[in-house]
Amino acid sequence: MQSYWFGDIDETGCTPYRGGPEALAKRLETIKISPDRFIPFDWRNAGSCSFTRDRGEYIRKLRELCFYLSEAGITRQYESRDAEPLQMVRTLDQLDEVSNVLTERALEWHRITNPGFSRKYLHLPKQKLLPMMKRGGSPAFRQIINEIENLAAARTALMKEVSRRADEVVPNCSALLGGLVAARLVSQAGSLATLSRLPGSSIQVLGARTALFSHMRGGTPPPKHGIIFQHRRVHNAPKEVRGKVARVLAAKLAIAARLDLYRQELAPEFIEAAQAAVDNAGRVT
Amino acid sequence: MIWVENVLVSSGEGGVYGERMLKEFRVWDPYRSKLAAYYYLGGEFELTPDLVVLYLGAANGTTVSHVADYAGTVYAIEFAPRPMQDLVAVARRRYNVVPLMADAALPERYAPLLEVADLIYQDIAQPEQVTIAIRNSMFLREGGRMLVMLKTRSIDTAEDPGVVLEHSVVAFEAARITVLDTKWLHPYHRDHAAMLCSPVWD
Repeated sequence: MQSYWFGDIDETGCTPYRGGPEALAKRLETIKISPDRFIPFDWRNAGSCSFTRDRGEYIRKLRELCFYLSEAGITRQYESRDAEPLQMVRTLDQLDEVSNVLTERALEWHRITNPGFSRKYLHLPKQKLLPMMKRGGSPAFRQIINEIENLAAARTALMKEVSRRADEVVPNCSALLGGLVAARLVSQAGSLATLSRLPGSSIQVLGARTALFSHMRGGTPPPKHGIIFQHRRVHNAPKEVRGKVARVLAAKLAIAARLDLYRQELAPEFIEAAQAAVDNAGRVT
Repeated sequence: MIWVENVLVSSGEGGVYGERMLKEFRVWDPYRSKLAAYYYLGGEFELTPDLVVLYLGAANGTTVSHVADYAGTVYAIEFAPRPMQDLVAVARRRYNVVPLMADAALPERYAPLLEVADLIYQDIAQPEQVTIAIRNSMFLREGGRMLVMLKTRSIDTAEDPGVVLEHSVVAFEAARITVLDTKWLHPYHRDHAAMLCSPVWD
């Protein structure tokens, strides 16, 4: 006997299923297929099965079921806990880009209207540079600067929100890396499920794609770290052990990601041991 | 295939993805669609109204919409939710498209929904692309064909595309699938090859 979405077919004939798309979808889940023995349904020998009048009706019923399944599938994917933090962290990174581009342009503009502008101003932090430029600019120019400042405020708010959400969704990764970097890691991997399936060595170089491929294509040394460089333990580590710290941290993150996916709560004893291992790796002997 | 003034077109309702129209026909751009490129380069496998097509890697449904203009029924498999939303929208306007949200690497999950196919068209960015095609060949009707768009850079970024193609041919032959014809899709798509295959029937 072979089961299909519409019913069972065996030597004696065909037993159609009854019900709408929902019932058919439920039934579909119970059908087990062994690929080596499966006989695909052939419309040309469907004569024994009179569950539809013609091919048009067959396709119409099948489509009805498939639209139901597709929409349920899409909803299920988007409902996953990491979907929204992922969009948030990408928005955050783009906010940075937009704000930097606008600031650079505003600076060029400011420069030509102020002959006395000198290079030393370029070293000012953004928070000081913007008010400095705002003084004496035209109304339109001042409005642009205001918008850049608003973007900065939006960024700060979003960053707090991302960290808070990351603490909920990926508590163990956040404990090791901090919420923001943990969220970036999930974003770079694509989803928490994908991240949890990566080996530590891949996590170590997530976000260092260019360096990794230039290494694989020949010559250049392999990257020591990708996104996890943003964690202070990595970028503050002495240069000679930085690769080691990154490697140990990445290995622990691989475990943390799996805890986050399956246990979905903080594992304090693991975090403690992992922190100790990372600290230990950072010691120069 | 329909050509109007040396431009590949298909006949169907326009406005699917902002494609140009030419005298009632929808222009099928070889730079956007690998299948269109295949026909521009003299590909001989014709799409006819009696065909049942299994389309693996349907993405946003742009190429699917053109295939559906020509073929009888198109089973369109896509895995990612984002393009799936677009694909569902395309399928709603084309009554011969059956959208399936599934992983092409696991045919046993969607097998009960399919029927035997005359053509399996595959355009997926997976390193195991060839294995996936072989696994799906169980849906082919006797005498059916497989058209595989080989993305050599997705299979191996560092290896020479020609070598990747050779390895793929060997892998198909080992699974008792004859490679009838291979075509590089240059200049329309870089490092992509079209492989027309047919399982050995006994």
